[in-house]
Amino acid sequence: MSIFWRLGWFFRLERWRYGKAVLALLSVALLSMVPPRVTGWLIDRVQSHTLTGRELAWVGGGLTLLAVVVYVLRVFWRIWLFGASLRLSALLRERLYEHLSRLSPVFYQRHKVGDLMARATNDIEAVQMTAGEGVLAMIDGLLTGVVVLILMTTLISWQLTLVALLPWPIMAVFMYRFGNAMHRDFFQAQNRFGDLNDHVQEALSGIRTIKAYGREAAEGERFAGLVRSASEANLAVARTDGKYEPVIVVTMGASFFLAVSFGAWLITQGRLTLGDLTSFTMYLGFLIWPMFAFGWLLNIVERGSAAYERVQHVLNTEEPIADTGQRAAPEKVALALQVERFAYPEQSLCALSHIDIALTSGQTLGIVGPVGCGKTTLFSLLLRLYEPQAGHILLNGHDIAEYRQSTLRDTFAYVPQDSFLFSMSVADNIALARPDASREEVVRAAALAAVDEDIQRFSDGYDTLVGERGVTLSGGQKQRIAIARALLREAPALILDDALSAVDLQTERQILGHLREARRGITTLIATHRLSAVEDADWIIVLEAGRITEQGTHTDLLALDGWYARTHAWQKLEQQVHEGR
Amino acid sequence: MKAVESEMKRRRVLTRLLSYSRPDKRRWLWAVGLLMVATAGDVTGPYLIKRFIDNYLTPGHFPTSPLVLLSVIYLSVYAISAAARYIQAILLSRIALGAVERIRNELFAGILRRPLAFFDHTPTGSLVSRITNDTEAVKDLFVQVIATTIQNSLLIIGIFIAMALLDWRLMLVAVAIMPLMLAAMWTYQRMSTPIFQRARQLVSDINTRLNESLQAMGLIQALNQQRRFRREFDDTVDAHYQTRLRSVTLDGIMLRALMNFFDMLVLAGLLTVFGYHALQHVAEIGVIYAFINYVHRFTEPMVEMTQRLNLLQQALVAGQRIFGLMAAAPPTHGGTATPVTEGHIAVHDVSFSYDKVQPVLKNIDLDIRAGEFVAIVGHTGSGKSTLASLLLRFHRPDQGDIRIDGMPLAEMAEGPLRRAVVPVLQDPFIVDGTIADNIALGLPLTDEAIAEAGRAAQLDDWVERLAQGYHTPLRERGQNLSTGQRQLICLARALARQPKVLILDEATAHIDSHTERRIQQALENLRGRVTQVVIAHRLSTITAADRIVVLHQGEIVQQGSHRELLRVEGLYRHLYQLQEMAVSPQASVEAEAQK
Repeated sequence: MSIFWRLGWFFRLERWRYGKAVLALLSVALLSMVPPRVTGWLIDRVQSHTLTGRELAWVGGGLTLLAVVVYVLRVFWRIWLFGASLRLSALLRERLYEHLSRLSPVFYQRHKVGDLMARATNDIEAVQMTAGEGVLAMIDGLLTGVVVLILMTTLISWQLTLVALLPWPIMAVFMYRFGNAMHRDFFQAQNRFGDLNDHVQEALSGIRTIKAYGREAAEGERFAGLVRSASEANLAVARTDGKYEPVIVVTMGASFFLAVSFGAWLITQGRLTLGDLTSFTMYLGFLIWPMFAFGWLLNIVERGSAAYERVQHVLNTEEPIADTGQRAAPEKVALALQVERFAYPEQSLCALSHIDIALTSGQTLGIVGPVGCGKTTLFSLLLRLYEPQAGHILLNGHDIAEYRQSTLRDTFAYVPQDSFLFSMSVADNIALARPDASREEVVRAAALAAVDEDIQRFSDGYDTLVGERGVTLSGGQKQRIAIARALLREAPALILDDALSAVDLQTERQILGHLREARRGITTLIATHRLSAVEDADWIIVLEAGRITEQGTHTDLLALDGWYARTHAWQKLEQQVHEGR
Repeated sequence: MKAVESEMKRRRVLTRLLSYSRPDKRRWLWAVGLLMVATAGDVTGPYLIKRFIDNYLTPGHFPTSPLVLLSVIYLSVYAISAAARYIQAILLSRIALGAVERIRNELFAGILRRPLAFFDHTPTGSLVSRITNDTEAVKDLFVQVIATTIQNSLLIIGIFIAMALLDWRLMLVAVAIMPLMLAAMWTYQRMSTPIFQRARQLVSDINTRLNESLQAMGLIQALNQQRRFRREFDDTVDAHYQTRLRSVTLDGIMLRALMNFFDMLVLAGLLTVFGYHALQHVAEIGVIYAFINYVHRFTEPMVEMTQRLNLLQQALVAGQRIFGLMAAAPPTHGGTATPVTEGHIAVHDVSFSYDKVQPVLKNIDLDIRAGEFVAIVGHTGSGKSTLASLLLRFHRPDQGDIRIDGMPLAEMAEGPLRRAVVPVLQDPFIVDGTIADNIALGLPLTDEAIAEAGRAAQLDDWVERLAQGYHTPLRERGQNLSTGQRQLICLARALARQPKVLILDEATAHIDSHTERRIQQALENLRGRVTQVVIAHRLSTITAADRIVVLHQGEIVQQGSHRELLRVEGLYRHLYQLQEMAVSPQASVEAEAQK
């Protein structure tokens, strides 16, 4: 139940709605006690032949009025209580998103998207249940139960109450056991459904083998087996679920039987009237809900607590790198990359070491080397996602830690190899960093990235939607849109992290040509697998296992006859083969 | 007009969904019969108490044996009713689950029979969703909507019958409220459907935004757009909050509170009519007691039915999609059942294109002798894997024909074709089960036959080191094995079928050189007995081939043995040199990494 404490901040925040809801609930609980009492009174009057027409009119009119009042109260507590609980989920969702938007890519490497999604959806819903249905079950269940019991014992007969409630503990035990069994069966059913899902995934991913081996029928049978066990698991749920009603029916039947028999005896003794007995059996019916509410509450609280913990865990994750820089955004970028030693957290292997390169404003640096040599790591340090253990990176002579993160991001327009496109129009995707950019600016950026012609060919041009409900783009088109996106930012430095890998050689040449014209004064860093992209760079470094093994201009490196020269010859031949020669 | 049409369509979908429970006719009869018994029992209870009150309690007359009899009847009615209720609930669940099983199996079998091109065009995710989530919605329809509707309607009818038997005037009071209740249900449906649809849409929007943001948070941050994305996300969350608030308000006004209100109105009406009657005549107190009991049972079933009708909408949409997938009949293949005895392949003037725009293969002519080892090579995009797809009849040529032992491929029956032409594909496909299961893959093979295939695939010295040998279970689709090991299992699977034609489609693309040599050895042993068509990217695998066919942009540009082709300046020689060179820079990297 400590979850209600931990949600205390929210109950205080929404104290008005909760307060009104609780008051309304209390009023409903009390007012609902009136009709049974009136019924009993009327029956006694009828039996003793003392009922008058005037009284009857009062009963009819009064009950109708009461019905209206209770209706209004019921409508409002629902709106207040559930409205408040909905606000909690909206609030938590927004907080979670806000927090997630401050966590760096390092966090995202450690957490799966699916898991985070589950926290933002299912878990938050479970917390919402706690603040809505949970509060209802606790307050209303308890309230109704107590009020009814008090009325039954004080107004009618405590002996009768005791006797009539004899079968109830048995029902409580059963309800509790069913609750547990239900939980278990439901879990099983979920798992079997998961198996089904996995099998369909598996079969569809191996559809070629299945077809080539004529296995369609056999796979169908295997699937049928899993469907069967999913059905069995669901049947187990139905079996438990089906027990609730009979147990309630039998207990209530027994309880009514005891109430009426014992009540009849009390009546013959003159200690009870028939009207009292009628009111009493009506009250008895009111006790089912509190009974049920209790089991429900335990279940909701259990799920809510676990869910809230998982949500809080994300909310309590802090960024390890402090963002306290003050320096103004630079207009030109001169860089000194001096990384003595860098290893990823919790890894002993050095990802980068002995790097020392300087770059003046407007220069182009090419970074090449085999897979996993440290190119992207170097950029991660430059963007301050990590900090080197020894060494520093200077931007215009100042350590990058002296700049705000947002300033750094505005300074370096970074284009990764796999760029992400959002489900919005092509134009919006290009103008992602500058939503205010005019269509002309967007088109100009697209033209520089040599993707304008492709976009013109889409059904709605720049307004074509991207993604599931829109057009599917090739890898090369995606990369070029990402480049257009970066160019539109007009940042003083541009980083291309293998951002041309899916573009053919001719287009690559075209884009680089455009860049050379457009980016005068802009400092550029190009990491690439294809050497042709850095041939014209002012300086090229070859990274191998985190260290610079060769450096110089294109001509220098060819003369060295090392990795660069070998790779260059190989790529030339590859191009030849690609052209069918 | 359109509304009527869609209404008709929905009705057809519902009828068709329901028809899947037809084989369970006997269960249906039993379930409904037992339900009637249970309902009768439910409504008899209050009636018996009424008898007790009016016949014995009010007059103050308590004869022993009739009272004992009454008690026994009362208690047994509840016991029987409870038992009947339980059994019918299980029966209805069985019927529901049986129907869903039939739908699932038919859908899955139907999808598997689709031609391969269908899978190229349909995202796997959406198919999985059709087969699992949509059928789950249908399950909810059966279990939650249909079962409760039947149970609750019967209960309400039963209550009315009991009321009519007790006092028809009082019954009319209760009946008078029914039109109001039904009108409320109808109005609620009309008003809630658009709100629910909007809420569902917004949930899906929230999830899409969240999913995209989480996938691309690094990018959003790099562009300094966190604030804008957060604002957009918050807007969606707020819109969802507002919509949900509207649905909570509607629920508050129309659902339980309203039914409770009607309930109380009926009570007021009953008491007034009863009292008015009592003013003039002698009234039976027991009657009003029983009526009050009945009226209270009304509310819950009405609320339940109203709420669950929403599931109906979802299930019908799901059903429509399911039947849409079932609709297109899979193509049937010709029935030439003559077995393949030689393995001679003749490809004549074959052209093919996936999208009917960009040709992938152009006028291919190729004659492969029975028992010949032919390698097909070419750079990425040359069309070599497409050729393998055509030989396996995954796709059909747009032009030209392929014959095996003189029989047109298009006219061969599935059985003999799949028996004779067997592939090893690029991505080794492992199912959950033992190594033996994976080799047999459904064929009734003896342990010896499996071991034999394992030996032929050079698999045995690895398998024999395992404690359970060929009966070692492979979990998680063989994720704990290396790609090479998985590929050898797939090779054994192919060899176990004793094929006439073996097609290796890039089977050695991702495996280590050690496994590659084993596969080469295995293929060498088959030489002359089995026709081998090997699609290879890595040329070192196929230097021993009888003939190498070089493809470029869908055309055959060179043919000959490895030696012959190396001797001339051309595409094959360059491809070969390229791969020879690739070894050296790569080797230096590996050496570096090991330091």
